[in-house]
Amino acid sequence: MKDMIRITVSLVAIFIAAGLIMGVTYKYTSPVRFIAEKKEKEEALKAMAPDATDPIKPAGNWISSHGKPYEYYLATSSGKPVAYISSTAGKGYSSYIAMLVSLDTDLKIKDVKILHHGETPGLGDQVEDVSFIGQFKGKNLSQIELTKDATKTEKIIAISGATISSRAVTNGVKDAVQTLVDKYGAGIKTAAQGVAK
Amino acid sequence: MSNEVNYGSIIKNGIFGENPVFRLALSLCPAVAVTSGVKNGFLMGVAVFFVMIMVNATVSLLRKFINPKVRIPSYMFIIATWVTVTDLVMAAYARDVYKQMGLYIMLIVAFAIVLSRAEMFASKNKLLPAIVDGAAMGMGFLLALVLLGIFRELLGKGSLWGYQILGSKPLLIMILPTGGFFAMGLMMGWLNWIDRKFFGGTGGGGGAH
Repeated sequence: MKDMIRITVSLVAIFIAAGLIMGVTYKYTSPVRFIAEKKEKEEALKAMAPDATDPIKPAGNWISSHGKPYEYYLATSSGKPVAYISSTAGKGYSSYIAMLVSLDTDLKIKDVKILHHGETPGLGDQVEDVSFIGQFKGKNLSQIELTKDATKTEKIIAISGATISSRAVTNGVKDAVQTLVDKYGAGIKTAAQGVAK
Repeated sequence: MSNEVNYGSIIKNGIFGENPVFRLALSLCPAVAVTSGVKNGFLMGVAVFFVMIMVNATVSLLRKFINPKVRIPSYMFIIATWVTVTDLVMAAYARDVYKQMGLYIMLIVAFAIVLSRAEMFASKNKLLPAIVDGAAMGMGFLLALVLLGIFRELLGKGSLWGYQILGSKPLLIMILPTGGFFAMGLMMGWLNWIDRKFFGGTGGGGGAH
């Protein structure tokens, strides 16, 4: 009986002390972390539309084909829209590949950036190479289609050995572009073609 | 538990004689998971190094207070506390490192090597030897990860610390998990061979503990 109490007291004391240490650490580190994370997000968005002079504001949410919610943003320069940005993701070989996509006002892709992924090193992670991700620049909705034919430069050429990761990125980008075109594309001719397709 | 502690032998023991990965064969799972590149291996090693020193110091300080019947839960909680503190501090002040290592930091809680040193060394020794043992074992783990990382990244990606060196990828399999086991087995074998051939040792590699 005496032993039981001693064991309990010793465990409880350790747990309380540990809880206090963790709590105090959290109290002092969480504001720093929160500010850093917010700043990183703002910087990532800013990098997607470097010509925007106003702060980039969230404009709404959309649900992707794999059922996850993503946010889209409007980048303006003295009140006039200069870019439409959306976060998105594609389901890859071993992870969701999270990305940011920005469109210019002609609804052509301005930039695609991969934020994080967990694809196979050496194979799937080649989607981060400029030779693949750079292909998206300047494409419109109807051109975002994966091909294995290396001569079709108007489309997106898949990386051999990483077809699933290539497809994930392409689908994620296409989802985001489709959404942005639906939201902002009304009245613009290229967009009408894209939506029809 | 004599009053004279040979720090030299503790350090040598941690880095060579009982190297956590190559000799004790503990914590092989993270050793395979993070050593696809030198940089990841190094950062993981640094995190483990700090956690091991803190855990060994705490366990050694509390060794008279911790009831032997509940020592394992107590050790686990001490480990979890220091890992959480490391995680929170890194998330706030070392963002770039945290983005790379964030996934792995919490795994340190379950590293066999941390618990085994708390049980085998820190709980039976005074504060200073326990800290030295934690540092030596952490350093041994760090060196093992860096060695594995160099071997795997050079063969698998042709680069070191992210910089291209060979300009080709000689053996892609080395950066896949399978290659991790190959690399680990080869390294263990080589170190045992060197030990037997040049130092007259008997070799090691799991089983001894």
